Amino acid sequence: MLSSRGPGSQVEVVLVYQSLLGIYGDRGNATVLMKRLAWRGYDPLLTVVEPGDPLPDTGHVYLLGGGEDAAQISAVRALAADGGLHRAADRGAAVLAVCAGYQIVGKTFTVGDQDEVIEGLGLLDVTTTRGPVRAVGEMLSRWEDADGEEQWITGFENHGGYTQLGPGAVPLAQVQIGVGNCNDGTEGAVAGTVIGTYPHGPVLARNPALADHVLSVAIGRTLPPLVRPEVNELRRERLSAVRKLAR
Amino acid sequence: MPSLQQSPHDRLSVGSTALPLRPRARARLAAATIAGRLAATASRAAGRGSGASIKGKVMMRLDPGALGKLLAGKQIALVSGTNGKTTTTHFLAAAVRAWLGSDAHRVVHNADGANLHHGIASALSENPTADIALLETDERVVADAIRLGRPKVLVLLNFSRDQLDRHHEIKALGRSWRNALAAAGQNGPMVVANADEPLIVWAAQTAKQVTWVNTATTWTQDASLCPNCGSSLVHEQPSETGGHGGHWHCTGCPLTQPAGDYEVRDGTIIDTEHRVWDPQLNVPGGFNVSNAACALAAAVLMGVTPQTALMGMRTVSAPAGRFATVQIKDTTARLLLAKNPAGWAEALPLVQTSTVVLAIDSAAADGRDVSWLWDVEYEQLAGRTVIATGPRAQDLAVRLSHADVEYRCIPDLADALASHRDPVDVVATYTPFQRLRKMGGV
Ligand SMILES: [Zn+2]
Repeated sequence: MLSSRGPGSQVEVVLVYQSLLGIYGDRGNATVLMKRLAWRGYDPLLTVVEPGDPLPDTGHVYLLGGGEDAAQISAVRALAADGGLHRAADRGAAVLAVCAGYQIVGKTFTVGDQDEVIEGLGLLDVTTTRGPVRAVGEMLSRWEDADGEEQWITGFENHGGYTQLGPGAVPLAQVQIGVGNCNDGTEGAVAGTVIGTYPHGPVLARNPALADHVLSVAIGRTLPPLVRPEVNELRRERLSAVRKLAR
Repeated sequence: MPSLQQSPHDRLSVGSTALPLRPRARARLAAATIAGRLAATASRAAGRGSGASIKGKVMMRLDPGALGKLLAGKQIALVSGTNGKTTTTHFLAAAVRAWLGSDAHRVVHNADGANLHHGIASALSENPTADIALLETDERVVADAIRLGRPKVLVLLNFSRDQLDRHHEIKALGRSWRNALAAAGQNGPMVVANADEPLIVWAAQTAKQVTWVNTATTWTQDASLCPNCGSSLVHEQPSETGGHGGHWHCTGCPLTQPAGDYEVRDGTIIDTEHRVWDPQLNVPGGFNVSNAACALAAAVLMGVTPQTALMGMRTVSAPAGRFATVQIKDTTARLLLAKNPAGWAEALPLVQTSTVVLAIDSAAADGRDVSWLWDVEYEQLAGRTVIATGPRAQDLAVRLSHADVEYRCIPDLADALASHRDPVDVVATYTPFQRLRKMGGV
């Protein structure tokens, strides 16, 4: 756990390899965290890291997003060589890895028509292989927050890989509508301060409770509530839309 | 009367009015065309749009070979790419028509932007005696069109993320072009290709002949890895090289930006003979100068002189409603289309009005996933009043609230456009854009 940080202090959000892992508006997760910190009087600092630059060892949150096969391979090689993400997880920084990012923080994943197996970073005990059909569409899952309260997670999934959890990972959420990990009713995975998940949207824009959870892990304290009517309205709309689609 | 040059492999006579088909094949196509026309009329009567797509659909169901037959014997130029297809094809059509003068009826053009198999078949059947076809072609149709139509010229504009819920990997599209060009060999088209775009360059490499255009493209977010070897690409700032090419190269293989035969520089077009043309277009934006440069290169390959081509292109002002200024009840609105982050990056700097309407939908034609909203720099609209509208207005509202942009959310498109005292610029994704065209009568 990082030392607890209060309002006024600086919180560093690290956007990892936006050019490789940012195809689904994933930079939006950084934008959301920055804003939610600023609205509460924190001093947020955004660090955008591209391959070739070292990952900073000072970050409080590290964000990874979606990308194509070639980008995924390139990203995992660079991250393995850099080692910064492992050090971040070891010292208790929050890591949120979405879609292709989720796959690469796992143990292995496959790419291409030949299902070439690629070594992941091993931060989560999950393995990903090509699924029978690509999972594309609005999805809905149920997540239990730190206080044991149930929250809906809304997002859009778009992935060809299906992910299986090993004994060292627990699912982030239970799927209500959509495919999630591999059509087994689970969505995402958690180990310590590392979270992997499929939905983008970006996921933190649509799910403020999850955003605040990531922030509270990062700064080591619970944040005061923050009501944004436009976000609540978007959630109401998306929850109703996904349920209508599923009928 | 000027006539278009023919490439050596055109075996069919150009200018004949009869389709070069056997009687039975022709009869089947004719029956399919009539059935398609009836379906289109019914669709129009039911208020479901122009009916072009349904017409083509019916035709191709009754005659699966319809598209090949309709393309046969024509001198064809195709235009494809993620953004700018419609405008570029309008430029090219205007250039060729200007050259043909009173013979302009020899040109058939899918002016409305219906660019899939059905839409192209429908457009061609509208004017079966035309012997020159200038066709905007969806990225997914390019490979088929090369095989079926043996085009003389193929214009490849750009590649960027778009509708990722359907096209998962843009590289797969580039590969399909590359393979189709390789398979066509010496019977393939002469390609006009954007040298600024690595995936376009890689796709065009297998063509028998390429005219490279340095387009001064600014969007590079979808070109971080080499399509040839997967290594990272290095992009230099255009200012460092003064727009003279060599803007990008691969760190792992020899792939690099080819020297341009044409070049866009400071809003002018420099041609193969180093002549500098001020395009004086009647559509806004630097990207349209790039589109015009590609159209100019294609027109020259078709036998048109640059002077005449530019004269024609200057008559293009609102291709398929893009950039049109319309009256919608009491409101004067200028319509801008933006379908993806690269398109928004081009459109937003054109916004001039203090109130701007942004219309977002997620129908199939818009892409069902609106995550891309977070890739668009709406922050640049700070200081203006934004009206968020369309079925996904609330997603935009959340994006705008995180961009410190003042907004009002009015989901209904007609309400959002009602009663603006001053003119408004409207930027819309595909589906609301088509509705706006109808509302504005363009
Ligand atoms: Zn390379």
